[in-house]
Amino acid sequence: MRAPRVQTIALTLALGLLAVIWLAPIVWVMVTSLKLTADIVRLPPEWIPWPVTLEHYQEVLFSSSRTARIGRAFGNSLVIALGAVVIVVVTAAMAAYPLARMRFPGRDLVFTLLVGSLMIPNAVVLVPRYVLVQQLGWLSTYQGLIVPEAAMTFAFGVFLLRQFFVTMPGDLEEAARIDGANTWQIFSRIVLPLSQPVLAALAIFAFRSAWNDFLWPLIAVNKPEMFPLPVALALLRSAYSSESYGPIMAGAALSALPLLVVFIVANQRIVEGVRVSGLKG
Amino acid sequence: MPRRRRRQTRTAYLFLLPGLLLFAIFRLYPLLEGLRLSFTNARLGRATYQYIGLANYTRLADDTRFTVSLWNTAFYAVASTLPILAVPLLLALALNRGALRNVLRGVFFFPFTLSVVTVGLAWLWLLDPVVGPFNYYLRALGMPARSWLADPATAMWAIIATTVWWVTGYYLVVYLAGLQDIPRELYEAAALDGAGGGRTFWTITLPLLRPVLLFVVVTHVIGSFQIFGQVFVLTGGGPGDATRTVVQHLYETAFQNFFQFGVASAMAWVLFAIILVFSVLQFRLLRGHTEY
Repeated sequence: MRAPRVQTIALTLALGLLAVIWLAPIVWVMVTSLKLTADIVRLPPEWIPWPVTLEHYQEVLFSSSRTARIGRAFGNSLVIALGAVVIVVVTAAMAAYPLARMRFPGRDLVFTLLVGSLMIPNAVVLVPRYVLVQQLGWLSTYQGLIVPEAAMTFAFGVFLLRQFFVTMPGDLEEAARIDGANTWQIFSRIVLPLSQPVLAALAIFAFRSAWNDFLWPLIAVNKPEMFPLPVALALLRSAYSSESYGPIMAGAALSALPLLVVFIVANQRIVEGVRVSGLKG
Repeated sequence: MPRRRRRQTRTAYLFLLPGLLLFAIFRLYPLLEGLRLSFTNARLGRATYQYIGLANYTRLADDTRFTVSLWNTAFYAVASTLPILAVPLLLALALNRGALRNVLRGVFFFPFTLSVVTVGLAWLWLLDPVVGPFNYYLRALGMPARSWLADPATAMWAIIATTVWWVTGYYLVVYLAGLQDIPRELYEAAALDGAGGGRTFWTITLPLLRPVLLFVVVTHVIGSFQIFGQVFVLTGGGPGDATRTVVQHLYETAFQNFFQFGVASAMAWVLFAIILVFSVLQFRLLRGHTEY
């Protein structure tokens, strides 16, 4: 039994080393963002920022220079992502409930249509959606970003929640119905509270999609004060020359922050979400 | 009974209504509207336009940039598939029984929470030809430094490496879940029969992971054909046209240079058709032998 143990330890060490290398790019971003401009390009690469400075954060967050409005973009991204989360969770939960727990004509057709739509590439609907949003007068507005982002995640949300609703035991619903509760009351007072874990998983998924989406806001917004973070960051890059990676990396680190927090708090939940989505695909 | 049934149907559709509206207006309608636009000469800002039949499609056949971008996209999809299948699978196999499983899973998953722009900027900096750490360490190991993103021979590979780093964590979680679902008794029985690690992998693990592999390949290929953000940030499609992909070309045609919505819509539908054909083919190919 000795050999396998040595093997296990070696494997763990190798994996640990690989994990360190795996994190290196993001650590490098953080380290760079905290260095003095003069220290950033120094070789050999220094992995400990010393002396530490917050000047790059201050610059991208508060200075109004050129396109660098990361502070404002951060706020925009929060509004957009949270708005999309609310719409996706509400509409997907309402749609998934009857699909999972009621029998009615057209149910299978609706569900097949929604699941089939997961195969439609977002890039394919880009131009016509732009025309539509333009006709609605929604270009460079929050709703023009929130509603299409929500529509992109809706079908997946229905799929994820339906999987969960299907497995719920029916006794509680039955009991509530006998007590005279109507469908809406059963849904909002019994089903939803019991579904908190999966709703949280969907909320995180929707937040991630909207927070990180790049292509749609790139075309749907043409006023700098309405840019969400990814667009502002991509433009920040062209605003600064390659000698000043500091502000760019400060912006990149800021963009990673909310999901890093969510990730540390709810690691297990995220993994569950991926697990369910992946296995039944 | 029929009356109760009718009421239930009405209730069901009331629940479905908000979501289906959202879905119909922002997902289904644009899909069909795009098909219609692809037969017109619509442009941004042009109030009226005519139907011009298949002209946009025949034009694409002569558009060398489109052809090049198709090949680049196909190259990317093919060349990235093996690492996307293998890297997370190897990690999953190594992590599956290990002590630090959950912590390490978290580490490898983390890049997937980042936006494509953040990922692109990080790698742009890492791969910087002059002051980037990657080239520095290469030189320290005695290997030649290169301008990875400015060299047509390596630019696409740099984009592939970036993408693998970005999405490996996602597929790792999918694989780990798949591995958990394989009954342990199978491995115990194989061990009793004296089968080694390699045999067990080829005769038990891989065949039973087939549905998961299918999911990974199909998801990845659908995603590959739409690659845009990495290219936009890392190379802008260059050097020359070496990394220009279909969606990038579509974006430029519709929103940057020419504002030709009709042509761009035709591109989108060609892309859609290709993705559909590939998905169906893969389902056929990989599902063929699931019976055991």
